[in-house]
Amino acid sequence: MTKYLLKRLLTGVLSACAATIIVMIMIFSLLDRNLIFAKDSVYSHQTNNAREAYKYRKWREYGYLDYVTYADYVNSLEKNGEVDAETAKTAVKLGRTAEKDSEETQTYIKKFTEYYEGKGYKVVRLDAVLKPSGRGLAEGGSPQLFAHRDIPLISRVLKYFGSIFTVDNIHKASGVADADRGLTFTLYDPVYNPVGSEKKVFSPAIMGNGTTHKYLLYFNDKFPYVHQNLLTISLGTSFAVNQGIDVFTTMTKSQGSFVKKTMTFPTGFVEESADDLHTATYVAGSKDSSPVTAARFTDDYTNVQTVNRTYSKVGFSFILGILSSFLAYLIGIPAGISMARKKDKLGDKIGTIYIVFSLAVPSLAYIFMVKALGRLIGMPTTFDLDKGTWLMYVLPIISLALPSIGNLMKWLRRYMIDQMNSDYVKFARSGGLSESEIFSKHIFKNAAIPIIHGIPSTVLFALVGAIITERVYVVPGAGNLLTTAINMYDNNVIVGLTLFYALLSVVAIILGDLLMTLVDPRISFVQKAR
Amino acid sequence: MASELVNVSDLGMKEEELFSRCDSNIDSEKITAPRYSYWHSVFRVFFKKKINIVVLAILAFIIIFSYIYPIFSGYDAYANLLDPTAKHLSPAKAIEKWGFSLHTILGAGGSGQSTFDAIWHGAEISLSLAFVCALINMTIGVTIGALWGFSKKVDAVMMVVYNIIGNIPYILLISVLVMLFTASFWSMVFAMTITGWIGIAYFIRTQVVIIRDREYNLASKCLGTSTVRIAMKNILPFMTSVIVTIAATEIPSYISYEVFLSYLGMGLSEMSLGKLIEAAQSAMVTPGWEIEFWSPVLLASIITIILYVVGQNLGDASDPRTHR
Repeated sequence: MTKYLLKRLLTGVLSACAATIIVMIMIFSLLDRNLIFAKDSVYSHQTNNAREAYKYRKWREYGYLDYVTYADYVNSLEKNGEVDAETAKTAVKLGRTAEKDSEETQTYIKKFTEYYEGKGYKVVRLDAVLKPSGRGLAEGGSPQLFAHRDIPLISRVLKYFGSIFTVDNIHKASGVADADRGLTFTLYDPVYNPVGSEKKVFSPAIMGNGTTHKYLLYFNDKFPYVHQNLLTISLGTSFAVNQGIDVFTTMTKSQGSFVKKTMTFPTGFVEESADDLHTATYVAGSKDSSPVTAARFTDDYTNVQTVNRTYSKVGFSFILGILSSFLAYLIGIPAGISMARKKDKLGDKIGTIYIVFSLAVPSLAYIFMVKALGRLIGMPTTFDLDKGTWLMYVLPIISLALPSIGNLMKWLRRYMIDQMNSDYVKFARSGGLSESEIFSKHIFKNAAIPIIHGIPSTVLFALVGAIITERVYVVPGAGNLLTTAINMYDNNVIVGLTLFYALLSVVAIILGDLLMTLVDPRISFVQKAR
Repeated sequence: MASELVNVSDLGMKEEELFSRCDSNIDSEKITAPRYSYWHSVFRVFFKKKINIVVLAILAFIIIFSYIYPIFSGYDAYANLLDPTAKHLSPAKAIEKWGFSLHTILGAGGSGQSTFDAIWHGAEISLSLAFVCALINMTIGVTIGALWGFSKKVDAVMMVVYNIIGNIPYILLISVLVMLFTASFWSMVFAMTITGWIGIAYFIRTQVVIIRDREYNLASKCLGTSTVRIAMKNILPFMTSVIVTIAATEIPSYISYEVFLSYLGMGLSEMSLGKLIEAAQSAMVTPGWEIEFWSPVLLASIITIILYVVGQNLGDASDPRTHR
């Protein structure tokens, strides 16, 4: 069984990766790249060569291509010590046209061109644009020289899948002296034992210097109480939706107003703050970059996340999804059973009308109907992160549960009616069992197997969220992440979400099969039936 | 071969103990069974329920009306654009302004257009989209699904394809394709059909696999019936009801999906029902304007429900097991 499951998991993960690669091809190769500038005000304010250079810079940021300017190249030469500062200064100056370059510049441009053309780049030179009068440069008209190359699919794919899991180690952070690098194990976590405190609080932690995260393993008061930063998952960095933040973090970080409490920073500075010192990551040279950080931190681990009042995007979606599925099972299963028992009676007919309604009517229509009815009886119709009560969950949950109830009723009724004609039911009846015993102990047990198969996917897909419901009720959930990312051309977010959804569906199907074999011992995936 | 043949006269048997030729057209050979015509029975069962006649009549009315009425209504969304008194009128006010006619019974929308004309114009587009997409998806889906079910080699390949395509978010695919080809009617059709068939094909495949190995088909095969004949005479009648039932859920689902996409701003550029709903969203919360929003919602709901009911009942009727 384990071998079979591993094989299923492996093929599932491979197909998820294949889907992700197809999505990468779609968004990076098929889509028009200029679309990302449609709503970009910076782009529309620029002219001439500056706009062209901006375009390539943006494309590099969005992950379309590799792009190197001539100035970057000369700077890197200077850094490596191949050129002295004086030469670099003259070499970096471009003439208005190629003919007007100084001799120094010409030799380095030749080197630049040879180096990058050898690596498959295309070197582009934009001559200076002059004012109509011919004197001086037009706005944004300075000459440009750069090399660019579309990132080949294979290296893009390898880079992406290679960077999903990152194991933190003491050689990650640049700028820490090699002698200082190392891990320390402490029984007294400095977050709870700030400098100068009398009382010793016992809390073990593993801390690193030279690692990306300062705290690699620590305890706090939030479930599951022990946390780690050793292994981090990154699905892709966002550019537009949540700039510079990883998709995974965007989905799982708490939202809403800050939860402030009195805390002591490593320097002993005391302040009301929402910072979570356990999340500190390394940013080279950040301590001395501003007096704010210098007053609080003793090292360069200054990039901390905040503690916020409410759930993360995934958290909101999950709460709504789980509660609505629970409601759906609670209502749908008894309704389906009674429909099957009273087949063709009035109850069955009413149930059928409901099923037709919930399956045929566009979901948008009845979500709005629920919202309108809710407003009539004075329910809150939008989400408020800070002043919200539990009442605001009611309408979204009802909206989400309505179609699932219809779906459950439809299938359970179908399965039960199919089972009602089987021989074992006739046998049970002839054996003198009462109708309700037959229904609850025999028919339902068999009819529920396909329903049970769907439970893991119901639970897991609650994480994904519901697009329309969340939009209509302004829920800060994960459902709209994909559509927002598509609208903003945030390619990395799209790719990351695709992989996340695909893996979720792979796991959900396998868990469903596994649960089915647990419930029904006749089902086995290992040896083939018959 | 010839050496194995035995001359009958060599066996030394009497004439009556041997086989004798008989006339090929004697009546006793025929088994008397009631005359059975498949499609005749389908319609007999379908029309036995009175509700079906009513629902079918409504469906016919909706389809004819949404294709014929826009030709005569002379609908122009921007005809009254410059008339500030024509905007967001309730039915009563619209009738007061223009007099009672079909155009005014649902009032006027945000740019002074007749709501009644607008929803029927939208219904025409939405219905066309649903029918075209269903036709394409059903044709491709059923053909590939049948092959998929019959051939083990195709099955192995298609399962991989199914697992991969099933993992690509549908919204992403549609929005990318719509961005590629602009949001016209045919690019929408293309976007909805490029992978839309695979779900249908998978469903058909499962049905074919179930029916293919039933005992009567094995018996038929043993008796020497050709595969084509088995497919046409034994399997197809079973599949017809399945196909009709899928069509019944597919056609309304395209209308719903178009509404959904329009709401997200990824839909058609034409004023389909979905676009109308999206455009009238703000009218829903404005007192006195609600009818602009609810009219397209209600029409879309009625169309999808009627299509669904007709399809389901036709699917039930086309199941040969109900023909007793």
